[in-house]
Amino acid sequence: MSRMNSVIEAAGLTKRFGDVVAADGVTFSIGRGQVLGLLGPNGAGKTTAVKMLTTLLSIDSGSARIAGFDVARDPESVRQVIGLAGQAAAVDEKLTARENLELFARLYKLPRNRRRSRINELIDRFDMGSFADRPAATYSGGQRRRLDIVAALVAEPLALFLDEPTTGLDPRGRAEVWDSVRALAAAGTAILLTTQYLDEADRLADHIVVIDQGRTVATGTPVELKAEVGRDILEIHVPTDGDFARARELTAAVPGASVNADRRQVDVPITEGAEQSLRLLRTLEESGVRIDDFQLRQPTLDDTFLALTGSPTKPLEEVQP
Amino acid sequence: MTATAQPTTAEPAIAADVSALGRLRRSTEDTATMLWRDMIRTARQPEMLVFAVVMGVFFLVLFNYVFGGAIGMGAGVDYLQFLVPGVFVITALQGAQQTSMGFAADLAEGVTDRFRSLPMSQVAVIAGRTIADAVRNLIGLILVALLALVMGYRFDSAAGAVAAIALTTAIGFSFSWLGAAIAAKVRQPDMVGMLSMFWLFPLMLASTAFTPADSMPGWLQPFATYQPISVAADAVRGLCEGTPATTDLTLAAAWTIGLLVVFVPVSVRLYQQSP
Ligand SMILES: Nc1ncnc2c1ncn2[C@@H]1O[C@H](COP(=O)(O)OP(=O)(O)O)[C@@H](O)[C@H]1O
Ligand SMILES: [Mg+2]
Repeated sequence: MSRMNSVIEAAGLTKRFGDVVAADGVTFSIGRGQVLGLLGPNGAGKTTAVKMLTTLLSIDSGSARIAGFDVARDPESVRQVIGLAGQAAAVDEKLTARENLELFARLYKLPRNRRRSRINELIDRFDMGSFADRPAATYSGGQRRRLDIVAALVAEPLALFLDEPTTGLDPRGRAEVWDSVRALAAAGTAILLTTQYLDEADRLADHIVVIDQGRTVATGTPVELKAEVGRDILEIHVPTDGDFARARELTAAVPGASVNADRRQVDVPITEGAEQSLRLLRTLEESGVRIDDFQLRQPTLDDTFLALTGSPTKPLEEVQP
Repeated sequence: MTATAQPTTAEPAIAADVSALGRLRRSTEDTATMLWRDMIRTARQPEMLVFAVVMGVFFLVLFNYVFGGAIGMGAGVDYLQFLVPGVFVITALQGAQQTSMGFAADLAEGVTDRFRSLPMSQVAVIAGRTIADAVRNLIGLILVALLALVMGYRFDSAAGAVAAIALTTAIGFSFSWLGAAIAAKVRQPDMVGMLSMFWLFPLMLASTAFTPADSMPGWLQPFATYQPISVAADAVRGLCEGTPATTDLTLAAAWTIGLLVVFVPVSVRLYQQSP
């Protein structure tokens, strides 16, 4: 890893709130045009890490550099080169999108003669024309979120921080954000994206850091992470709730086994090859559990996450209001 | 950690200008920007101007027509002449309370989180607001003065009227910074509104804004004479009447400058602390 090439660099970032260690030695580096997915359940410390990197929160120990500037020692230079879309939309509700962008462009000290064209370009590119001249208070969640992200782009930041950019968005809004992230990365921006959704990290990130309770539990590319768990999974579907209850009981002792009641599905990690699968299916059969269907499959990122943190991620469907 | 990096073609980023002059330029520029923003917001909430004058109008009417006869002013003194400068000062204080509530609402809205991550002067976030409030205050004061004129109030001279309103605006401005500090500390708009009952009303009522100090109980008189609202009311009254007293003006200036010296840095410090 060369310091020259990394735009965002975190080394041992640590933050305590009383007894809670919200971030505990978080370490990574992000180069130009790369997307790093900081993945973890609620309360994992994602926002805390983002706030330390963006000068909003002091760093207890460890260090961070953005575009070569030390975050603790030179926050003013850091603020010139970053864009932040925090977890809660941070726009002026009384102002229109155009006025908001004008406000932030001025505060970023964009030269007056470039402001108007830059704002028009952003409004066009992110398809905000239909609402750009209404006060933000009248926006839908997706529109407000879009303005919030675009506001972070006004000054073409070298480093972009997106804290759960798709939480609360409908599928269309989410797809739009994904497209934007890809386009910005292609244009060379280093992007730190936090998410609770593996699917999202899998789609967007070149590199994933999984954190839980402040600590890093795994790092790697999506492919590496999936390989890390390594085991195949026997996925069993049963026809009735009675069968499900029985199957759940019988597999509970296997380490890493998980269930999904809605789908009446039981997932069992297989570590001892075909012999173990057969034994398991035989046990179920002998106990009178009927089986609709079973398959031996590769682990998904969700399985990996479960194995790493002990808690499942939220499926994407769950975010629908 | 091994995020495989691509070769970089970025030109090195330019460090922030942190010289005193650089900072001063940035503060001025950013304050102007924030003022622009606050003026748009004010224009979109014309009801704020109504709030700015409602208290002044209320006290003017209530004290003049309802309590006017009951307040011992001695024979031959017109109570309205005494009252109006006090009402000016109260109007300015009401403006400061609006700063407090408005800034707390700002902080709750989330946009200030973005301001803290921008390469901008952080003083400007509050200065833009206090200056915008001073402008609104000035308009409010002119409206109250017009009402007073209609009710029969007479300034000694036009110059005196201008000086009185200017001084009142300055006093209101310094109190706005106190209001901003309270908002930055407390954060919840509701709490800020409640709290102002505790500092604003006692200061207002135990002052020479509505009644002369010598009509108050003896133990209250020293406080009622030197507390900032009384000092302000006496100084403004002197300017209105064409009889400005150096002590009153000096004390009023001292309070104004003192409040600024303390609460400009304090409010910025409190604002920068993450909630
Ligand atoms: N200002 C704060 N004061 C006290 N505890 C906090 C504060 N901010 C975050 N925490 C705690 O730190 C932990 C990490 O929080 P956060 O970074 O917001 O997680 P995430 O963004 O991953 O959901 C949580 O346990 C949270 O309760
Ligand atoms: Mg968070």
